[in-house]
This record gives sequence, C-alpha cells and structure tokens, in this order.
Amino acid sequence: MGYGRSDSYRVATTQDKDDRSPKKKKGAKDMDDLKKEVPITEHKMSIEEVCRKYQTDIVQGLTNAKAAEYLIRDGPNALTPPPTTPEWVKFCRQLFGGFSVLLWTGAILCFLAYAIQAATEDDPSRSARSHMFDRLSLCLQLYLGIVLTAVVVITGCFSYFQEAKSSKIMESFKNMVPQQALVIREGEKVQINAEEVVGGDLVEVKGGDRIPADIRVVSAHGCKVDNSSLTGESEPQSRSPDCTHDNPLETRNIAFFSTNCVEGTARGIVICTGDNTVMGRIATLTSGLETGKTPIAKEIEHFIHIITGVAVFLGLTFFILAIVLGYSWLEAVIFLIGIIVANVPEGLLATVTVCLTLTAKRMAKKNCLVKNLEAVETLGSTSTICSDKTGTLTQNRMTVAHMWFDNQIHEADTTEDQSGASFDKSSITWISLARVAALCNRAQFKAGQDQLPILKRDVAGDASESALLKCIELSCGSVRAMRDRNKKVAEIPFNSTNKYQLSVHETEDLNDNRYLLVMKGAPERVLECCSTILVQGKEQPLDEELKEAFQNAYMELGGLGERVLGFCHVLLPEDQYPKGFAFDTDDVNFQTKDLCFVGLMSMIDPPRAAVPDAVGKCRSAGIKVIMVTGDHPITAKAIAKGVGIISEGNETVEDIAARLNIPVSQVNPRDAKACVCHGTDLKDLSQDQMDDILRNHTEIVFARTSPQQKLIIVEGCQRLGAIVAVTGDGVNDSPALKKADIGVAMGISGSDVSKQAADMILLDDNFASIVTGVEEGRLIFDNLKKSIAYTLTSNIPEITPFLLFIIVNIPLPLGTITILCIDLGTDMVPAISLAYEAAESDIMKRQPRNPFRDKLVNERLISIAYGQIVTAGFALGGFFAYFVILAENGFLPTTLVGIRLNWDDRSCNDLEDTYGQQWTYEQRKIVEFTCHTAFFVSIVVVQWADVIICKTRRNSVFQQGMRNKILIFGLFEETALAAFLSYCPGMDVALRMYPLKPSWWFCAFPYSFLIFVYDEVRKLLIRRNPGGWVERETYY
Amino acid sequence: MQANKDSDGGWRTFVWNSEKKEFLGRTGSSWLKIFLFYVIFYGCLAGIFIGTIQALLLTLSNYKPTYQDRVAPPGLSHTPRSEKSEIAFSLSDASSYKKYTDAMTKFLKKYDDDKQTDQMKFEDCGGKCQLMPERFLKCRDTNCAVCCSLAHVVTLLRMSLSLCFQPPMNNSVEEFLLPKLKPNLIPIFCKNKREEDADKIGEIKFFGLGEGFPLQYYPYYGKLLHPQYLQPLVAIQFNNLTLNEELRIECKVFGENIGYSEKDRYQGRFDVKFNIAS
Repeated sequence: MGYGRSDSYRVATTQDKDDRSPKKKKGAKDMDDLKKEVPITEHKMSIEEVCRKYQTDIVQGLTNAKAAEYLIRDGPNALTPPPTTPEWVKFCRQLFGGFSVLLWTGAILCFLAYAIQAATEDDPSRSARSHMFDRLSLCLQLYLGIVLTAVVVITGCFSYFQEAKSSKIMESFKNMVPQQALVIREGEKVQINAEEVVGGDLVEVKGGDRIPADIRVVSAHGCKVDNSSLTGESEPQSRSPDCTHDNPLETRNIAFFSTNCVEGTARGIVICTGDNTVMGRIATLTSGLETGKTPIAKEIEHFIHIITGVAVFLGLTFFILAIVLGYSWLEAVIFLIGIIVANVPEGLLATVTVCLTLTAKRMAKKNCLVKNLEAVETLGSTSTICSDKTGTLTQNRMTVAHMWFDNQIHEADTTEDQSGASFDKSSITWISLARVAALCNRAQFKAGQDQLPILKRDVAGDASESALLKCIELSCGSVRAMRDRNKKVAEIPFNSTNKYQLSVHETEDLNDNRYLLVMKGAPERVLECCSTILVQGKEQPLDEELKEAFQNAYMELGGLGERVLGFCHVLLPEDQYPKGFAFDTDDVNFQTKDLCFVGLMSMIDPPRAAVPDAVGKCRSAGIKVIMVTGDHPITAKAIAKGVGIISEGNETVEDIAARLNIPVSQVNPRDAKACVCHGTDLKDLSQDQMDDILRNHTEIVFARTSPQQKLIIVEGCQRLGAIVAVTGDGVNDSPALKKADIGVAMGISGSDVSKQAADMILLDDNFASIVTGVEEGRLIFDNLKKSIAYTLTSNIPEITPFLLFIIVNIPLPLGTITILCIDLGTDMVPAISLAYEAAESDIMKRQPRNPFRDKLVNERLISIAYGQIVTAGFALGGFFAYFVILAENGFLPTTLVGIRLNWDDRSCNDLEDTYGQQWTYEQRKIVEFTCHTAFFVSIVVVQWADVIICKTRRNSVFQQGMRNKILIFGLFEETALAAFLSYCPGMDVALRMYPLKPSWWFCAFPYSFLIFVYDEVRKLLIRRNPGGWVERETYY
Repeated sequence: MQANKDSDGGWRTFVWNSEKKEFLGRTGSSWLKIFLFYVIFYGCLAGIFIGTIQALLLTLSNYKPTYQDRVAPPGLSHTPRSEKSEIAFSLSDASSYKKYTDAMTKFLKKYDDDKQTDQMKFEDCGGKCQLMPERFLKCRDTNCAVCCSLAHVVTLLRMSLSLCFQPPMNNSVEEFLLPKLKPNLIPIFCKNKREEDADKIGEIKFFGLGEGFPLQYYPYYGKLLHPQYLQPLVAIQFNNLTLNEELRIECKVFGENIGYSEKDRYQGRFDVKFNIAS
C-alpha cells in the first residue's frame, strides 16, 4: 500500500501498521470492502491528468450526456443512509429481547400445562386425585398464560413507543433542505441538486456553500474551508490548486464532501461522490461497526440466569419431592411448571421499563436526550470518558485570552458570560492595540443581531478575526463606528508568504491628514517590520531587552497553546503620503518597515465554564477522562490543563524531561501520571504498548488523532474492561461513538452522522450534562437494585403456599389470581416509586461499578430477598393470617394437615372441621378464598415494611427520611387497592376475593414489624462493621 | 466459542476450586457460618411462628368456633357421593356399582346396631335410634348388590351439621308439602328436576324417622359435648327408575333458616344425575 494511497479517512498517520490492529480482523470484510475503493490520488495528479481521467473539460465541464451516464453508473451523490431497522423488527426486539424471554417462557409453560391438563381432562382413567386439577385449574393456567403474554406485549409496546418518541426527535435533526450545487456543464453554469453531481463535474463553490462532493481544486481565490465536521478542528484551512501534502486529508487542493466553504471562491473537479467520499467512508465504517450489549442488558441477562437457576432448582426439587410423595408423573410435571412460573416476576419487566423511562425523562429535562432506553444506565457504569475537545470541552469559538502590551501579559475574560476578571483598559497602548485590532480586521457582525449579546452574534470572517472583533467590541464599543471614523483606503489581505495583513486608514482626527497604517500577523514577522515599540503610550526604540521581553511573552503565550498575533502601526508622515496618496497594494509603494510595535494578542478556543467542575466531578467519581482530539498537542495539552484533565502538578514525560533537563528517553514513563500522545506516535504502538499507556497513565491526552485511531483508543479502553463513553460532534468521531458503550453526541454542533451513531445526545452541547447523566445512571442502578429486591421479596411467598400445599396437604393458602394481584397490582407503584428514591451516599464520590463484580442482582440480594425477609415476613405473616382465618372458622391447624384431598373434592359436601361442623364444598371454598385474600392483604402489610426496608441498602431509614413522596403515595395506593379488592362488591365473583374481618388485617403486623427491626439491625451492623461478615454476606 | 470454553472452565472451578478449597464459591468455614446463620435464623423464625400460633390457639374456644357465618345455612349431602354430580352404573356389571355399595357399607358402619346398644349414650333419641329402614338394613346384611340389581337404588341423605343450629320451628313450606308435614320433623322432598322426567322416576320411598330430619337431634353442640352424636339419616329409595336414561333428581330440605344458593349446589338441597344401565 503506497503512501497516500492509504484509506483516506485515516489521516497521515495511517500506515500498514494499522492494518494489523485487532479491529481490522473483526471488521475484515468491512475494511476490505472499503480498501477496494479507489483511494484518492488525484491531488498528486496535474489538472490535465484529472481532466483526462474523468473525461471532462477544465472550462466546459462535462457534457450533459456524460453526466447522465456517470449518474447512472455511480448512483446519486448522497450517503447511503445506514440500514434502518424496519419498524417491526424494532418492535419484535422490544417484544422478545432481554427480560421478556423469561416471561414468554413462563407464558409458554402455562399454555403447556394447560394443554397437558386439557388433554387429560377427558381421560376416564383419572385417579380420584385428579381433583388436583381443580386446584391448578384449567382456567387459571390459561389465565396466567394470557396475563403473562399481555404483560410482555404491553411493556414491549410501551418501550417501543418510548424509543420511537426519541427517534422522532432524532428525525427532526435531519436537515431536510436539499443541497444545491453550482456545476458547469457544456460551458454553462447550472444550479442542480447536489445529489445529481457526478464525478468529473466542474463545480464552483463560494463562501457559505457546502461542498457538494470531494473535489480537486483547480482554481481558488482566497478560498477557505471549514473541515470541522471531518477533523473536528474548526480552524478554516485555505484551499489552493497546489498539492501540499502526500496525504489527501492534509493537502490543500482537495475539498471534502459536506465540509463548508467559509470564504472565497474555488472551482474544482469532482473526484468522488456519495459513499466513495471521505465522509461517506467514515459513515460506512460507522454503520458497519457492531456494538456490544449495554451493561444493563448484560445485567438483566445475568439476572435472568439467576432467576432461571433458582426457578429450575426449586421446580426440580419439588418435582422429585412430588414423585417421592406419590404423585403421578403428570401431576409432578404440572407442579414443576407451576413452580417455575410462580418464580417469574411478572411485574418486574414493567417496573424496570418504567424506571428507565422515568430516568430518561428526567435526563431529557437536563438536556440529555436518550435514544436507547437501556443507555440510561450505561452512563452510570462508565469508567472512562473519551471526550472530543472542540465543541465539547471548549466553546468552539476563538476568543482572545491574553494580551501583551506595556511589557506585561494581561489576561482577557474568556468566560461565556463575561463574568471573569478584566484588565486595566486605561493604558494608551491598549487603546492603540484595540484600534489596530479593530481596523486591521475584515470580520464583521452579520446584520440584524443588535439585540443579541455580543458573544452570541454571528460573524462573517475567520475565527481569529472574529475573536478580535468580539474582544474589541466588548471592551471599546462599536467596531463599526470605529471603522467608519477611520476609513480604509488600502488593504493587503493575509497570505501565507507575507504572514501578515495590513491596511491603511484615514485618522479619526479630521485635522490630522496623516494616514494610519495598521498591521497584524505572525508576531515574528510583525516584529521584523518594527523599529520601535509602544510602552505606556510612548514610542521607545526596540532594543535587545525589549526584544527579549517580546520573545519571552511570545513563548509563554505559545506554550499555553494559544495562537498569537502581533500588532503594529505607524502614522505615515504627511509629507511623504499626502492626502489622496494612491496606495498600491500589489506593488507596495509605501512604508512597511520601521513600524511601531504595539502588542500581542493571543487567542484560544476557551474551555466551557462548567467543564473544569464537571471534569473534577468525574474524577472524584472515579471516572477517567481522556481527551481525544484532532488538534495539535500543545493546544490540546493547554486545554487539558485548563479543564483539569491534566490536573495541576501532574507532569508528562516531556515535562519531567524539561524540568530535570534530561532527554525524554531517560525518563521513566511510570513517573509521569499524565501523558500527551501524538497521533503519529499512536500508529507505531503495538497493542500492548497501547494498553500500557492506558493502564499506567491516569491523565491522557491524544492529539492529532484520526477517526480510526479514536476507534482504536476506545477499543483499547474496552479491552482493559472499562465501560467507555465517547463524546464527540464530528463525523470523525462517529466510528468511536458507535463503538463506545455509550456514544454521546452534541445536539447543537453535532453532525447528523454522529447523532445517528450516538446513544445519547446532549441538547446543550455541554460536557457538564454528562456528569448529570452519570449521576442519574448510577442512581438508577442503585434504585433498580432496590426495586428488584422489593419485587423479588414478594416472589417466594407466592411459591411457599404452593409447596406446603403439595407437601403437607393443606388447602392452598394463596391462589394464582391473588399472586397476579400482588405482582401486577399492589407491587407496581411501590416498586416504581423506588426509582424516585434519593441517593443514599454521595454516589459521585465512589468508584464506578466494576462490571465483573458489582452485579445488578447478586447472590446476596437473592439470599436477602428469598432467604431472609421473605421467610420472616411474608410467608410467615401470610400463613399466620391463613391459619387464623381457618382456625376461627373451625379448622384448627392440626385438622388441616392432610385435609387437602377431601377439601378439594367437589363431591365431598360434608367435610367435618375440628368442631364437628360439616362444610359443603362451596362453603369451605369461600373460606379458602377468604384466606387467599387475607394472605394477599398480609403481603401488602408486610410490603409496607419491605418497601421501607428496600429504600436503603446501608443507611437506616431514620437517616434517609421519608421524603420520597411517590413512595408514600405508593404505600397508600397499595393499601387502598388491597382494601378495594377485598371489599368492593362483586369481587367475590370477579376475582374470588372476599371481605375480611377487620381483625384479620392485623395478623401480619407483628411480622411486618419484625422484618423491619431485623433489617434495621442488619443495616446497623453493616454500618458499624464495614467489611464485616454481615456486610459480606448480606450487602447487595 | 472462546467465551464458551471460558465459562465451562469457570463452571468447573466454581463447583470445586481446589486452589482456594472452595466449594460453590465458598470455603468450608464460610459454608459453616452461613449454614449456622440460617439454622439460627430459621430456628428463631420457627419459634416466633409457633409462638404466634399458640397465641392464636389461646384465643379460640374449645366448644365453639369464633365465626360461624360461613358454615350456615346447612348443606344437604348424600351417600354414596356422586362424581361430577352423577351416579352411574350398570346393573349387569357388579364392578360398576361396587364403589357405591362399598361407600355405603363403610358409611353405615358407625350406625351399626351393636354400636347403639349403650342406652346411656343415646338417651337423646329416647332409646334405640331407628335410623335405618329395616328393609335396607336387611339388604345391607345380605348383599346390597341384590337391592341394587332390583333397581331399588338407595341414597342416604343427611343434613350437614353446624354447631347450635336451631331447627326451624315454623315451617314455611310450599303448599304441596303441607299434607306431608309432621311435627318435629324438618321436611325433605325429592322430585324430578326436569319436567319431562316426571313419569320416569317412579316411586320414591323414604326410610328413617319419617320424611325428614327429627328436630330432637338439633341443636348439635359439637364434638366435645356430643362425642357419640350420630347424625340422623334419611334413606330414599327409588323403586322404579327408568333404566338407560339420564335422570336428574333434586332433593331439598325446607325450613325457615335453610337457604339455597345458585352457586352452592349442596346448600339445603342437591341435585344428582342417575344414569343406570340395565
């Protein structure tokens, strides 16, 4: 692979080495496809060669016939949209993905059990014991199956619509206005739809246009393009017909599809269109990447494994038990299914979905739009954030940061709201400097923005000049007025040979007929033109001492990563240049030497105000923030230091070398916590070295990186087990955004491609919103744990009655309908209310969770939920109520054991109780269903305590307080619902629930109190004894 | 694939990790601790539960359940029991009705004459309780199958007991029953359920202490106070049921505080389907 033939979306750094990176193996086919495309070589060809290649004419352009032919051959000049998943596939994914599988299995098992029973129903050889089937009656199995199906379908629809809502917002981002392009065909300029542009077309672009395709520039007049969507750097680059670099991305004579022409005009031949363009390839690469499961999806999978394990274990145990107890195979199979199904937490899917949705809504309010519900939690698990610099960490606008005049560095205010400190503006030198900066400046505010704050106004002109314009406008008032007072009479624009720009103006003073010459440019060039320097308003000869001072200031500002400009002026002597002197800018006929140096101004794209704080929060939350930028290392480092990505006092290898005055090679890399890694170095690194960098440096800045390298960095972090969030706005970021566990795109400055690739969009482009996201994500993880713990606790009491029914042959204490009433009725609101629970500890002060160790559901949670609270409260409380009701109606516990066969025998209508009373089938069934109701009510009573227990995992509820209003509402709601189900007339027919005598409500109270006290003691032990046995065994 | 292998290996080490001497992720002492914890934990729970159950038992009376609202009004049951409210057998096939005769024999054991000899205990009845129709008793003594083969199907009725059930004094019964009404008897009446079966039932004979339950048997004061209490029975005999046809018969007891319910088909009445093949 020849130099410059490399895949053009990889910058100069791309070499064969890259081809061996692991990414390549995975996406081999993808990459090979991309490689087969003709790499751009046109920049090295002469214009004639290019014309020949595309059979076009440099003046006439393509013929219409040829253009039509090419259009058919190459297809329209548009990016193939990423293969969109059909809506029904998305829907099915919601319906059959993750947690739903468990419920589907449950539903299928129910239907299976129904089928088995239905098939045996007519079997005449049924034993007398088949009355069992009355219990697990046909309808109930079917009913449960249907309810399970309904739950899955409803929840599926819910999350589908939730995500559809997000994607609708996505749609709105799409720029629907069709792009136009000015092409020359058969010698005539025609405005056509950009989609119809073909290879070989001669196109003309001017300032403000979007480049319609990849073009080889054939002629240009002051043309500058903004490649920010491609490289992330917003600094406009000039375009000219000359090849300046082997690499197509760096060379001046190629302008890229979908970048913007900022100013000037250019004419060029289209060399690539549509997907073949550099931009198209990145987009293709992005859509070709496969992303892994979200952490929460993995957690839920793990949870399903555990639940399935528990269910199957219990099911099999009792299957064997049933066989041993002498039940028939068929009955045992029905038991098996029944127990497995009873273990399915029907309400949990809905709870999880609602919890995630609520958080997503909350995040949307804080300007984080979540595209994928599951991504809500991912941010919380994030352990590494790879952030783009421009636009994310910085404000994405050049701002004057420092000035040097009067032999002193002054700091300008770079904050977004002008709240920072200002400098002394009284010096005469400053007034001169401001005048030079205002006059020698072609930028101007776009019309009609007078009411906007200065910093928010749009400016026509390049970034540095805009920065100067705004700076002067802010400190000295209207620049336009100043320019009006000092009419421009001549101007030499900036060019790369002179490296300065100068203009000649009339003076403000109407009596003064001298002309004022102002110049700005590269400081060293400007200084060369000067013989004097303005200090405290007085011209002084530029001696060595002052030159040294200048040099130091220049170095210092340059070292801050700032772009430094020098300013000088001179009042042209009236005798040589009288009024009306004809200044010739082409053949300079006036003085450009012996000027008076005024000062330096340096500019930087300053960090956003909220970023340093946000980075600090990330750091205290144990999240590593890595800066990945296409910008130069010095600037990158300066910004990194500014925002705290490289914290104060931490040095890079180079810093250490400079401090100790030893060569870089002698410094032990381990000593340096920080690291600034250049893209060109990155390409030479092996995977191990890469891992080494990522592992051993806590503060890393990657500069001059290509999209490919961003991807490699993300993969490197993932390889080390980190959960990576990537923020970015440009197309160049999109492969990394896609590959990341969570890609965060910028809503305002972000490109469509990046938004497509991302999982989350920051609507205000503010990095600080990520911190909010992390906080919310961590909170929802904790709260989901609580929610699951709460939901699971009502799960076992639903099984135990069934087990006792089988083993001790007592009447069934809790029926299927009541189980469903708990799972889908009373449990729902309290479980969801736990999502509103405030954080227990400072969740932003702890390390990110370890995806291998800190699971959503672990064995401790299961043991707490199933082993302790449940047995203590629910089962016992429920059973107690059950025994109370039966005993008070005449069936003492001793009578009950073994009574089941007769109890469930429809033909036995004279069943004797302990006192000798005889019960008809229906009479005792009413008592049984009253027991179910009481069991259900007892569970609700115990759930009061349980939800308060689940509120906290470590703190006492007395520390945490009861400020969660939704939870309090939930408590009342479940109680009211329980009362309603018990007392509403008609419930006996509809749900077979019967009114309870008031005293039966209190049966579970002691147990409710008991588990509350037990759990408070447990938490007290955890707090008193950190790391002790109690914590190790019971802290979930 | 690799992941699979890993998890397989992980599984094996999970079951027994020889390095750390861990079985299922726990060392011996760890297992012991958690086991002890649960033993103590469940021990305490069991203690508390038994304690509360004991407390419950203390609140209960030995003679009378706390609530009786669910057991009243009384039900009416029959022996032999029906299966899905149907009694079906074939006269020619002895095995088909064996379960019915067996059930009957078993049920009548406690009504045996020799068990009723202790006069002291049966003073309530005023001497020997003539609960059983003689003919029926004879039948049982010889071979019930004979009775059955004669298509004299016999069913025993009894009213289910609830404690202190006060028998109805003022019988508000339907007109047609008035001639049959006797004092001191809770009247019982059986008839065809469907109109069209009217002439297919034939004669229905009542045995026992008249066509009903004698009032002197009520109220019943429970097992503790009435340890030898024998429930009054009424036997009904269908002498001429039409064979090979499905016949539905409904029996009802009448009384002021005897109720009927749509849902409970044995409350104060029952209906049973006879299907007797020749």
